[in-house]
Amino acid sequence: MFSVSQDFAPPFKLISPFFILGSLFYLFATIFLFFFSAENISLLDPKVLAFVHLFLLGFVMMTIFGAMAQLVPVVLEVGHFWVELFYAIWPLLGIGTALMVVGFLNSAALLPYGGVIVLIAMMIFVMEIFLTIKKVAKFNLVITSILISNIFLFFGIIFGLVMALGYAGTIEVDVNALLRSHVFLVIGGYIIITLMGLSIVLLPMFGLSHGFSKKPLEIAMSMMSIAVVLVVTSSFIDFTILEYLGYTLAILSLLIYFYLVQTIYRTRARKEIDIYAMSLMFSYFSMLVSLIFGISYLAIGYEPLLLSAGWLIFFGFFGFAVTGHVYKIVPFLVWFERFAPLVGKQKVPMLADMLPPKSSSAQFLFCAIGVIVVCVAILLQNDTLIKAGASFLVFGAVALIRSVMYMINYKLN
Amino acid sequence: MYSKEELFLAISNVIDPEVGFNLVEMGLIYDATCDADGNAHVTMTLSTKACPMHQLIQQWVKEAVQKMANIKEVEIELVWEPEWNVTMAEAHVKKALGGG
Repeated sequence: MFSVSQDFAPPFKLISPFFILGSLFYLFATIFLFFFSAENISLLDPKVLAFVHLFLLGFVMMTIFGAMAQLVPVVLEVGHFWVELFYAIWPLLGIGTALMVVGFLNSAALLPYGGVIVLIAMMIFVMEIFLTIKKVAKFNLVITSILISNIFLFFGIIFGLVMALGYAGTIEVDVNALLRSHVFLVIGGYIIITLMGLSIVLLPMFGLSHGFSKKPLEIAMSMMSIAVVLVVTSSFIDFTILEYLGYTLAILSLLIYFYLVQTIYRTRARKEIDIYAMSLMFSYFSMLVSLIFGISYLAIGYEPLLLSAGWLIFFGFFGFAVTGHVYKIVPFLVWFERFAPLVGKQKVPMLADMLPPKSSSAQFLFCAIGVIVVCVAILLQNDTLIKAGASFLVFGAVALIRSVMYMINYKLN
Repeated sequence: MYSKEELFLAISNVIDPEVGFNLVEMGLIYDATCDADGNAHVTMTLSTKACPMHQLIQQWVKEAVQKMANIKEVEIELVWEPEWNVTMAEAHVKKALGGG
């Protein structure tokens, strides 16, 4: 018998805090919604900035980093350079996020401290990924996507830190000009390119899809990368055409990506619509509606359209893409650690058996309703509807925590 | 020493925990031979190159064959040509997955 290396499945105790903390931050973000007033939401409102960082850093990035600890070696087909570094990432990211949120809300002086701690967490992550990529002998499209996205993340967090120093009054910078670069580098450059790259591996793997072309991904990734570079450049030179060209390319890139996703969906052998498939359908549907809102905003300039587009990208597209994958990744890691050694010796569960059907369905339903209601509330600028949507989302978030804890503590009866 | 069918029968105890079917009915085992000295050779593939369980699955196949009487050595050859697709699975698997 040969021993199975943990290269492709790091110890679960190393990764589980990312998922637990991530789902807790998701809950905090949904509670935060109660403190918004629909009539005066604006993009640069400190409350909005606090909320966006709470959600993106605390939930999206925290969960993506945990998932990447497991997915990077699978995708790159090499072991991590130093996987134990992930033990340092989640506490730093958690503390840094909390300080930044408090900094935006109450004390700008805390922002650089929170920003530096987040920067350290992300630098550890980025450097570990770069050193792992260095071990790869032959590059493919997915590895390239991970490399590109991490380069964008590197610059995105530098911009973020400079902005934090600007907010705190430590240095003088044009925060508005940097904001555009920061947003595009982190969201377009890191989160979206990471999702694009991973989806070419994960969607066919879970759906058993074969025989589709990867060319659209290549085009979508290239367009998004150029879009990010154009928008960042437009922050420094006063050339509006570059900025709008960047926005147009980003929208086209997402449309091409959507075409790829539906091609993978059409060619899948596995037709069952489980919680994973439902979550991803909602995620990509949100992305599509968000793009329509974004294009409408560019055409008519009604700001609630832009805010709704942002909301749908964050809580709809990112939120459901992340929760959907949590239902695949967490059971696998728990199974690998707890049940794989028992195969052939006693009955072991299938991965699908480890999902809690009621709480996962409740999470999907409450969160989906909540996302739609809040989206309508932002469009109509209706305060009552925001609170109604937030109530659904809080229930959904509690169901998510319950689901994560159920999967982590799963035992055979 | 053992026929292909006997080896396939032994390997059919190995179940993919993600889809819930055994590797033989999934069509993932391409060939299996065993010489008179008890040296077995299994040619197999996986449904995807990025399968995080690829080491484990190969180990389970190896152990399933090693459990057969008088087997000395088991060699697993993982191949990617021809690339697996659902048409290689047995009819009941295709039906259960929803692919017809």
